[in-house]
Amino acid sequence: MRSKYPGKILPLILLAPTLIVSVLFLYYPAGMSFRLSLFKTLFMGRKKIFNGIGNFVSLFTSPEYLGIVGKSFIFSFSVVVGGLVIGLGIALLANRKVRGARLYRTGLIWPYALSPAIAGTIWLFLFNPNTGMLTYIMEVMFGIKPDWLASGPLSMFMVIVAATWKNLGYNIIFFLAGLQNVPGEFLEAADVDGANIFQKFWHITLPLLSPTIFFLVVMNMIYSFFRTFALIDIMTQGGPAGATNIMIFNLYRDAFKYFKSGIAASQSLLLFVLVSILTLIQFKTSGRGVYYGG
Amino acid sequence: MKLKRAITFSLIMLVLLGAMSVGVYGQQEDVTNIKFWHAMGGTRVDFIKRMVEDFNLIHPNVEVKVAYKGSYRETLTATQAAARTGNAPHVIQSFEIGTRENIDSGLFIPAGELIDEYGIEVEWDDYIDSALNYYRVGGKLWGFPWNSSNAILYYNKDKFEEAGVSLSTKPTFQEVVDVSQKLVDSGVVEGGITWPLHSWFFEQWMAEQGQVLVNKGNGREGRPDKIYLDSEPAKRIFSWWKELYDKDLWINPGVEAWSQANSLFLGETVAMEITSTSDVTGMEKNAAENGFELGTTYIPIPDGTERNGQAVGGGNLWITEGHSDAQLKAAVEFALWMSNIENSVRWHKGTGYFPIRKSAVDILEREGWFEASPNSDTAFNQLLDTKANPATAGALIGPFRQVRNIVTDAFQKVMSGTSVDKALEEANQKAKTAIEEYQEIATS
Amino acid sequence: MVSPSTRDKLATFFTHFALIFLVLLIASPIIFALIASTQSTSTILNYPPQFLPGKAIVNNFTVAWTEYNLGRLMLNSTMIAIAVTVGKTIISIAAAMALVYFDFPFKSLIFIIILLTLLLPVPVRIVSLFDLVRQLGMADTFYAMIFPFFASATGTFLFRQHFQSIPDSLADAARVDGAGPLRFLTQVLVPMSMNTIGALAVIQFIYMWNQYLWPLIIMQSENKQVIQLGLKMLTGSGRAGVKPWGPAMAGSIIAMLPPLLIFLLLQEQFMKGFALKEEK
Repeated sequence: MRSKYPGKILPLILLAPTLIVSVLFLYYPAGMSFRLSLFKTLFMGRKKIFNGIGNFVSLFTSPEYLGIVGKSFIFSFSVVVGGLVIGLGIALLANRKVRGARLYRTGLIWPYALSPAIAGTIWLFLFNPNTGMLTYIMEVMFGIKPDWLASGPLSMFMVIVAATWKNLGYNIIFFLAGLQNVPGEFLEAADVDGANIFQKFWHITLPLLSPTIFFLVVMNMIYSFFRTFALIDIMTQGGPAGATNIMIFNLYRDAFKYFKSGIAASQSLLLFVLVSILTLIQFKTSGRGVYYGG
Repeated sequence: MKLKRAITFSLIMLVLLGAMSVGVYGQQEDVTNIKFWHAMGGTRVDFIKRMVEDFNLIHPNVEVKVAYKGSYRETLTATQAAARTGNAPHVIQSFEIGTRENIDSGLFIPAGELIDEYGIEVEWDDYIDSALNYYRVGGKLWGFPWNSSNAILYYNKDKFEEAGVSLSTKPTFQEVVDVSQKLVDSGVVEGGITWPLHSWFFEQWMAEQGQVLVNKGNGREGRPDKIYLDSEPAKRIFSWWKELYDKDLWINPGVEAWSQANSLFLGETVAMEITSTSDVTGMEKNAAENGFELGTTYIPIPDGTERNGQAVGGGNLWITEGHSDAQLKAAVEFALWMSNIENSVRWHKGTGYFPIRKSAVDILEREGWFEASPNSDTAFNQLLDTKANPATAGALIGPFRQVRNIVTDAFQKVMSGTSVDKALEEANQKAKTAIEEYQEIATS
Repeated sequence: MVSPSTRDKLATFFTHFALIFLVLLIASPIIFALIASTQSTSTILNYPPQFLPGKAIVNNFTVAWTEYNLGRLMLNSTMIAIAVTVGKTIISIAAAMALVYFDFPFKSLIFIIILLTLLLPVPVRIVSLFDLVRQLGMADTFYAMIFPFFASATGTFLFRQHFQSIPDSLADAARVDGAGPLRFLTQVLVPMSMNTIGALAVIQFIYMWNQYLWPLIIMQSENKQVIQLGLKMLTGSGRAGVKPWGPAMAGSIIAMLPPLLIFLLLQEQFMKGFALKEEK
């Protein structure tokens, strides 16, 4: 048992700033927004009609909206899985004891510092179906000139690539940290036992990395559901014909381009509930498998 | 030592005095401060800054603070947000399609009302009608005209010569198909033509065919309840567009990709581009930089139809409510100043937006401007040839933004295989729903 | 059979090869942007794309810096980012301290309340947040960019994890020495948390540097605006004729530098700060 300091007032004082800011600037506005979700509005609320749960009903019964939810899942799943698998692969490589390891690590991580806007602009530049570098490469290597922006699946591919790339650095850092906590003795002992690379990875490294993996799954989910708006806005604006219209984009567009803040608020509430549920599932299923060590 | 101290002391006093005098003189008496927000980016940010500086210089009792707020939509968002604080900017630039929304939001005061209230003399006769008509609703003029444009076809004279093709000044759809085919076949360019995948062009082609987008006089005589996105004229447009796409003659620059389309044309990947007349000046400059000669024609129309003209695009200036008389008066002065004769000339030359004052046009003619710039001439003539009817007055639709997205979505579906008829019928249904939803709330 | 040492050498070679390839691959978008920032806009628009640097580098960077006031905007962003980082760090450390070294009712609940804020990002609350900030009289001030960001679920979580990994013996020893909780905090915990502090500083700086939608709505004065908005002006949305791609890429490069710099300077701390257990 950890020894604790006595006193009930001091901890509350220490917690006060965090709680005050959280309640005042986070929970209260969120609550007001959720209240807004009960209305149909225009012009940022200058005009509104009370609609009860009407907004939610229309969202749930709209095949279009359900399609949007589906696309969000596809997008997030790809970004999470892609980000974690590639991130882990790169981290494993970068973890090897070679000269200049530190330099390599820096070189692999830094895109994380870019803003989604810049990342989106640059990738859009590269994916330009007429003048982009990637289009050129595809033409040279495969003889085809993909019309990235005009095809639904290709556009989705495009934004997944850009979103995953941007977040790779984040994943690599955490994986590297996690890898460095795998005690060398375990791996050496396994060597003595004659285990090969794959066995070592599967039975030792992976389980020891489970807290990291669990943490990254949650963080990547939050990233892909909430923080990718700017990227989509710059690259595809949800197109073509809504192919890359994920929940967060649709919500922003309803709120700030169509000025329908009521229904936008409903969508944000749904998004909040959805991600909370996913996170909860994460906790329940992986919480048991996570090994924190002694 | 003493000398040093004395000098230091004197210097400090001098600095203080200087600061105080700046404070005193800087604090002009009775200066009305107003804010102006606009959506003209790129090199225009500076251009407009200089115009505002000139205004401030000439009007010592008014200080206009100008800010570029991003796109039209972002400017409007920021304005609505600011209005909630009671801190709205006094003058903003709004796009033309925001007219219905702006009126319904209650945020703005009609220009006509303000002018009447303050008894300001305006030579409305000197303004070009089409620039004003768009913003006249219910007998009132709502916005102050400023930046008006049309769509126009630019072409690469050099490539045309190389391929041995030519286009009439008032071309038809079929001509464009034929010329594009010849251009591509001759190998001088990759694609025949491009234009941003944007509903604006669709709307202009509807106007050219005399087709209103919604009923009740294109929404100007009352709240519309019928949409015409699935009408014959609409299908003609989409079918032609689809043909060009299927034959790889029209290159897709992207949705609303204005600068992408420009890049394709200026980079000589295509030999023709349809885009806004507001870019004439920039286009001429860039074409020259890229080493080819620029030509222009009216936009093409369906064969066998009579040319009706277009609705003006662009935007204009709106004044928000909730300010003092002094501020409103200053705002009106500013808004009118931006479209005074001298500025109309300046603005047109610097951008390509139409000179909306007849006197400005006279000056430009006398200067020989239209001779020296035949492209501006073409653009202007197209504007003058426009017939005045509801189709060219422009549609008044509340959720116009959403409807535009519905239209571009519809064409994207056509590109990936949906039939034109089906895509437009679906679009029509969606637009109808959007408008009904809007009207339910807006009229509550 | 291949001898072990040769096998090792091969492995090392391939590792280097793979790593270099990956670094270049990951960096390639930026490399292209860098090249583009030296080319004039018309060169950039050519196809096939040119790989050689152009001569417009001075022009592009000058235009980006002077005509779009990037210097001022970067200063604003820097001030805001630093203020938020410092504030957040202090507040998160305090919160973590309370959660780890004290017992009080509803402790777990409070921790969850703090963590759940991760699910309430800006888009979910922006309209109401705007109203609130206005009512507090903070609209168009730097305070509006700072106070709403003072609480940090990530920070509290990280410091809590870190504190939990510090051996009990230290706390006990401090107790024995008669040190109160606050002295323990400032003289023992904080010095031991420099890595986590550095790591958090990097994340927070980057996060604030990249703010976009909120400043767009809440800041009205042009000279108080932040860098991402300046970039937006450069890349120009809407009908702005031909995008000045040259200066736009130059501006992107300029805007990238400060967060990158912070990252490079605090790399070590950043890496170590995220270790979930003690470094050996």
